[in-house]
Amino acid sequence: MPATRADLEFLRGIVLFKDVTDADLEALWPFLTQRKLRKGEILIREGDVGREMFFLRAGEVIISKHVKGRVEQVLARMGPGDFFGEMGLFDRQPRSATIQADTDVVVLELDGDNLEQLVARSPRAASAFFYQMVRVFIQRLRDSTSLVAEVTRWGLEATGLDVEHT
Amino acid sequence: MTEKRSRIQFLVRGDEGDGYRVREVASTVAYLQNRPQRVAEEQWELAPLATRARGPRMYVLKNRVRERYVQLNERERFLWERMDGRTSLQELGTAYVLEFGAFDFELIPGLIAKLRQAELLTMRPASRLREVLAKNRTNPAARAAEAALRALERLNVASHGAHDRFVTAYRYGAFVLFTPWAVLVLAVLTVLGARGAVVLWHEGDRISAGLAQNPFVAIVLVKIFFWLTVISHQIVHALALVHYGRRVREFGFAFLHGFVPTFYADVTDIFLGSRRARIVTAVSGPLVHLFLAALYCWVASLVGPGLLQGFMAASAMLQIQSLFVSLYPFCFMEMDGYHLMVDLLGTPMLSHESVHFVHRRLFRRLRERRGFSRREWGYLAYYFLSLISVVAFVLGTIWVIVHAVVG
Repeated sequence: MPATRADLEFLRGIVLFKDVTDADLEALWPFLTQRKLRKGEILIREGDVGREMFFLRAGEVIISKHVKGRVEQVLARMGPGDFFGEMGLFDRQPRSATIQADTDVVVLELDGDNLEQLVARSPRAASAFFYQMVRVFIQRLRDSTSLVAEVTRWGLEATGLDVEHT
Repeated sequence: MTEKRSRIQFLVRGDEGDGYRVREVASTVAYLQNRPQRVAEEQWELAPLATRARGPRMYVLKNRVRERYVQLNERERFLWERMDGRTSLQELGTAYVLEFGAFDFELIPGLIAKLRQAELLTMRPASRLREVLAKNRTNPAARAAEAALRALERLNVASHGAHDRFVTAYRYGAFVLFTPWAVLVLAVLTVLGARGAVVLWHEGDRISAGLAQNPFVAIVLVKIFFWLTVISHQIVHALALVHYGRRVREFGFAFLHGFVPTFYADVTDIFLGSRRARIVTAVSGPLVHLFLAALYCWVASLVGPGLLQGFMAASAMLQIQSLFVSLYPFCFMEMDGYHLMVDLLGTPMLSHESVHFVHRRLFRRLRERRGFSRREWGYLAYYFLSLISVVAFVLGTIWVIVHAVVG
């Protein structure tokens, strides 16, 4: 089914497609698979193997990592226009975190094979796509570093440990 | 503005793994859920602090392994007894309110810090100088100083079996030092020494001339005798412990803070003794300086001009100075006078807490325009009196040197 105007508007709103032309976006659309999830449904489970990334079209998801027993630490929440699962496209390692729908959710799925076809068809669009992805990676790395510091601060406050005087 | 407390979100799954709930936990909540665990029962000892001073009852808590002591008041003892690893801080707080009817928000963190320092919970404190050096390891000079201090600290000659020797010495004569006869002799000698000092005061030029005849010999003799005095000071402390039936844990030589060469006797066991025992033990060391100062002054006033008189007079001055330094409590160093003072005030960590208060909390308190508690006024008084004393000492020393050179 060809992309509607609303579909193209949505894709243009995703940072990865910021510098991709409308023609390339229309060409990309058939490679995307739309999926709907109910609140609480798990899209990606930590430890599973997968080679797809997702664009969140509607709703909200929680990204969490297992800590202990039935407890997971919430790493981030994502809303419409965000994307996730991209690490599986590149390293083919087990998923590093769980992604779960916190509301009813609509996502668009892009798998590794389809991405390779897109790269072959339009290297220019692929270059713009990957350039933006690197920028997002950098931002997420910064966020991770801040999270480590914040968790450390939390630990110090939670234990009452006076590191300066011990 | 106070820093916002950190929060972390947790996702907790249901028993079947289907449902979940997200819970945001502030670090303060987690802190309240802490269950402080004291060291094993056989590693600590708690005894009432024997004192005639008016005021609330105090206790001494001892870490038997680390040989560290902390003083607890009745309320702190109440909390300590509940730090069994099963009671959360929140539950401790609740129990405290039920028992005493109100809550002191600084009490529990303060107590935990105190217990950690004594390794009665966890962690081991380092000296303040070492902390500063550790913070500045990127600086080559700080790194070199730290390495040098570490090497010097290894030069520690200690005897853990000294107690039996002190018991023997006490039994075969040293017990006399703790009889009324010794006090009488000291009193008579002090009078004679004071008289001698008055005589010597008018013979300053002759005494200087006597020392100037053999300056090298005079300096070496004075130094050697002074070191013998330092050993005597510590020996008398140790004998006082034996006199009161307590144990001398250690006796030896070390570099205090890594750079002050000194002899020492571990007299911490006296904290479990009576108040009289603590006072006598603290005062006994400085009294060695009084005894020797009086003896030197008296002898110097009897002998004729020459090296012996000069040596005696110079040694007497050093002893008087040592007596003053030992008993003066306001200098950031925890000498005998300091221990006497904190014993009277019931604030065993006054120096540490004063420095911490002024460096970490004073300016915040001033900004908040909140008044000071009685204890905090005590911190301020100790800190600034010590600061003024140290500055006065340094300036006085500079003045003496300049005066001597110019004069």
